Amino acid sequence: MNTQLESLGGVTIVTPSGRLDFGAAAPFQSELEKVLAKTPAGLVIDCAGLEYVSSAGLRVFLLVSRGAKRSGIAVVICSLKPAVREVFDVSGFSQIIEICADRAAALAKMPA
Amino acid sequence: MNISVRVIAARLVGSDGPYARAFENLILALIVISVFSVILEATANLPAWATELLRIGEIVIVAVFSFEYLLRLVAAPRKIAFIFSFYGLVDLMSIAPFFLAGLDARYLRILRVLRVLRVLKLQRRVLETTVTQRTRELAELNDVLIEAQKQLRAELDVARALQIAILPSVFPAKAGCDGAARMIPATTMGGDFYDFIELPDQRIGLVMADVSGKGVPAAFFMAVARTNLRELAVHHLDPSECLACANDILCTQNPMDLFVTVFYCIFDPSNGILCYANGGHNPPFLRRAEGSIEVLNGAGGLVLGALPGTTYPSHRVQLRHADRLVLYTDGVTEAFNSAGEAYGTTRLVAEIEAHGDGAAAGLIERICRGVADFAGTAAQSDDITLTVLAWYPPSSP
Repeated sequence: MNTQLESLGGVTIVTPSGRLDFGAAAPFQSELEKVLAKTPAGLVIDCAGLEYVSSAGLRVFLLVSRGAKRSGIAVVICSLKPAVREVFDVSGFSQIIEICADRAAALAKMPA
Repeated sequence: MNISVRVIAARLVGSDGPYARAFENLILALIVISVFSVILEATANLPAWATELLRIGEIVIVAVFSFEYLLRLVAAPRKIAFIFSFYGLVDLMSIAPFFLAGLDARYLRILRVLRVLRVLKLQRRVLETTVTQRTRELAELNDVLIEAQKQLRAELDVARALQIAILPSVFPAKAGCDGAARMIPATTMGGDFYDFIELPDQRIGLVMADVSGKGVPAAFFMAVARTNLRELAVHHLDPSECLACANDILCTQNPMDLFVTVFYCIFDPSNGILCYANGGHNPPFLRRAEGSIEVLNGAGGLVLGALPGTTYPSHRVQLRHADRLVLYTDGVTEAFNSAGEAYGTTRLVAEIEAHGDGAAAGLIERICRGVADFAGTAAQSDDITLTVLAWYPPSSP
């Protein structure tokens, strides 16, 4: 799995692609922690290129959304493939993490 | 060159072994004696008998050093390289003066003093000893590491065995129930578990769960989750209540921020009523006796251990004669083949549809074989866990 970062105003957009499995979870987590440490106004995780998320991968989303909430950073996840979306729905994560259909919708949720 | 002579030579002047060590010690003693005698000869005004003794000693020393030189030459894989190597030259220097002295007496004194250079021979011993010692230390360290790894592996195997051993091996004996379960652990330590709990009101609690992550943390959290659920199930006879309590407790006993997906249902063998609540787990399948498949996908709640205060809606379904309930973890549907393709729910449903009318254990066997055939040579990355419960009400024909 690899991860790309871009900045748009005060918002950081993280684009992971590939398989977020047990092995990829720890590097992805530290990548996102680095982003949060810079306290952007918002964080969008664009999952358009994400093929698979294991439970260890879900845990990263949980920790990041928890950490962001503590620092008052808005987090939105967008563009989930159906298989990945199903994992979020079954596990109940879509109840606690804001999910948008695409990047434009996600950016619209970001603080101005 | 006769190979056996070379082998014997190598054994004497090699870097290790009892013969080499004895020979080294002999040479070492002679070097010290010889250097000492050179100094003695040069400084003191010696009586004739002493000079004679030193001369004989010198002949013996040169003889042994010459023999050593020949051995090293024989043992050396590349002769020319040895002759012109530093130690080769030092060795030669330590015997050459003796032979040269016979040619021209004028150089005698200088050549004799040159024998002091034999002290350089000591350096080889020091260097070789150091290399041998370092090599031995490294080998010992390596042995320690291998041993430690072996021990760690063995301890993990014990932990894994314990983890599997705490799972019930048989379904509680209940009239009309044919239940079976199986867990095939992944190579790394995972966190799947299932449970059958006999409740005080004669009903049976069935748990199917999957802890996030792998390794020792997942195994520990599995044990904590399993113990809590078992304890709470006896006191909370409603699945949603049981999961809500378990979640709140797990949230306080969760330093690693792990979570566990749990499907918990309570089956009443007297009337076929199944109550269930789902904490983020893959919804199970209900295969009706005639072969149709239903998904127990009543709205669920969040995985357990993530957020205190989570609620889990309760649902209820009526089982009929010869219906089968199939609980599973994502190790089944997310078993990948070498092409990176997942087994998926479609194949699982097809298997249950086609072969669901036999014994519970038979269906589990069938699914496990299907998954193994599909995965082929690809390594099993996650635990594969299944529970099947078939119901034959006692009153029906």
